[in-house]
Amino acid sequence: MRNKPLQVILFALLAIVFFLWLFVPFAMALLWSLVDPDKPWSYPDLFPQKLSFRRWGDMWLTTSLPAAIGNSYLLAPVVAFLTLLLAAPTAYAFGRIPFRGKAVAQMLSLLPLVLPSFIIALFFTSLLYKLGIYNKFAGIVLGHVVLFLPYAIRILTVSFSQVRQDLIDAARDLGASPWARFSAAYLPVLRPGILAALIIVFIQSIEEFAIAFVLGSPDFTTVPTILYSYLGYNFVRPNAAVVSLVLVVPNVILMLVFERLLKSEGAAVSGGKG
Amino acid sequence: MRAAQPARWRETAGLLLLLLPGLGLIVLFIGTVISMAVAQSVGYFNFSGPSGFTLDFWHKQLTSPILRTSVLYSLKIATISAILSVALAYPLALWLRKPFPGSGAISALLKAPMMVPGLVAAFLLVNVIAFHGIINETLLGLGITSKPLRMQNDRFGFAVIFLQVWKQLPFALLLLSAAVQSIHDDLLNAARDLGAGALARFRKIVLPLTLKSMQAALIIIFIGAAGDYSFQVVAGPTRSSSLAQHMYTVQREFGQWNEAAVVAIVLMAIALTGSILLAAASQLAVSWGKK
Repeated sequence: MRNKPLQVILFALLAIVFFLWLFVPFAMALLWSLVDPDKPWSYPDLFPQKLSFRRWGDMWLTTSLPAAIGNSYLLAPVVAFLTLLLAAPTAYAFGRIPFRGKAVAQMLSLLPLVLPSFIIALFFTSLLYKLGIYNKFAGIVLGHVVLFLPYAIRILTVSFSQVRQDLIDAARDLGASPWARFSAAYLPVLRPGILAALIIVFIQSIEEFAIAFVLGSPDFTTVPTILYSYLGYNFVRPNAAVVSLVLVVPNVILMLVFERLLKSEGAAVSGGKG
Repeated sequence: MRAAQPARWRETAGLLLLLLPGLGLIVLFIGTVISMAVAQSVGYFNFSGPSGFTLDFWHKQLTSPILRTSVLYSLKIATISAILSVALAYPLALWLRKPFPGSGAISALLKAPMMVPGLVAAFLLVNVIAFHGIINETLLGLGITSKPLRMQNDRFGFAVIFLQVWKQLPFALLLLSAAVQSIHDDLLNAARDLGAGALARFRKIVLPLTLKSMQAALIIIFIGAAGDYSFQVVAGPTRSSSLAQHMYTVQREFGQWNEAAVVAIVLMAIALTGSILLAAASQLAVSWGKK
């Protein structure tokens, strides 16, 4: 109670910080994306002379943005699904089987997270060239799968470890088939984890830049690589603003769903007690 | 005993089969990629000309002044970013240790930058700090400065450090919050009753008990910042390049795969040794602060 004034001051301070930290940057991006192509926003105008959605329409019709969105949103579900399938057996072993060297194995599974992604991207590309593999879609899928396996393994390991042995045993004692055992004892507990793993890998794949850029350039574009092209040598601020919003808005929505799922995981476990 | 042997063998085989598609793929992939870099750095797997063992590429890069400045630059950015993120995350984690009205909203807001992809973050910042961006216009409008400040592509790399902290602070906060929340109240209350002030409690209880999480945060932020490409290219100084940028330039603009491989190995070595040294230094500092 005695800290109340301090609490209020901290709160006000934080409101100011967040205004500058999040609101202003995003408001600027939105404003820039709405600048009318005929009336450029330049010094000394404090605000754009005219706002319109024409830039969005132009970008859609005249740039490779639709192709990039198509590529990104085709890559992401394929990567998410494959990652989930490949991560599940390892996560089962990590979550339910005690074995020697598990700690080391779990450390090793984090390797893709600690190696600088540009190194992975560059020498994975060189490896593919050496092997004579030039299919960029397949290459990026493989790169993304390996890069994001650690997240899926981690999330599913926790889920598998929360499955209750007594439920599995009870199902078996009652003569349940392997599938019935899985759907009765495992699935209710695993479901939030599976969804969470799919979403996080999906988001990461949409956002991934290094592999998509190094392996994909110049002809295979994704949303981040097209954003990069507007940020590089030919810096086109309004176009970059449009692509930024295209990239960030769906992911923020998915991330909010993801947070919800993580919170509901506990509920699913206690629900499985019955 | 004899009957148990085949069963154990089958168990091990089953376990390996389970680990193969996930962990096995990771180890195989990363192992091959690193081997590729090592082999190319000493002259194998050339794309043009004959392949064969040579240390020429190492010699060329190690005597290059650009590599030296890139190493120093990446070390500087990574060290400052890691320490700054952790230093800012501690007070926030302690403030949010006990839930209070609005604390959920605050931590959600603090975590928001995690959802923003790096390139978007760089673009957002560049908008704000541009020559005629909102900060400069405000400073000019208030009469604080007489001409716009140059903040984008500043020579030191403040913009890059700011971006690293903006993006990594939530991550450090996540790790430290969990650690701080697991400290038992009794311990802090006992220390308070014995007359320990806030700073003493922080040095003698909080820091030692959260050391492991702090080291994890330092290591991961350091490695990420040392290998940064996108922040550097968009907002970094135009005169110095980061190691990842240098590596990519060597490969893309000069077609030098072998020299790029040398830079890659230097970058891996820097990321590894730098992060370990930082973790060791934090351990020393904490045990020194306990006294």
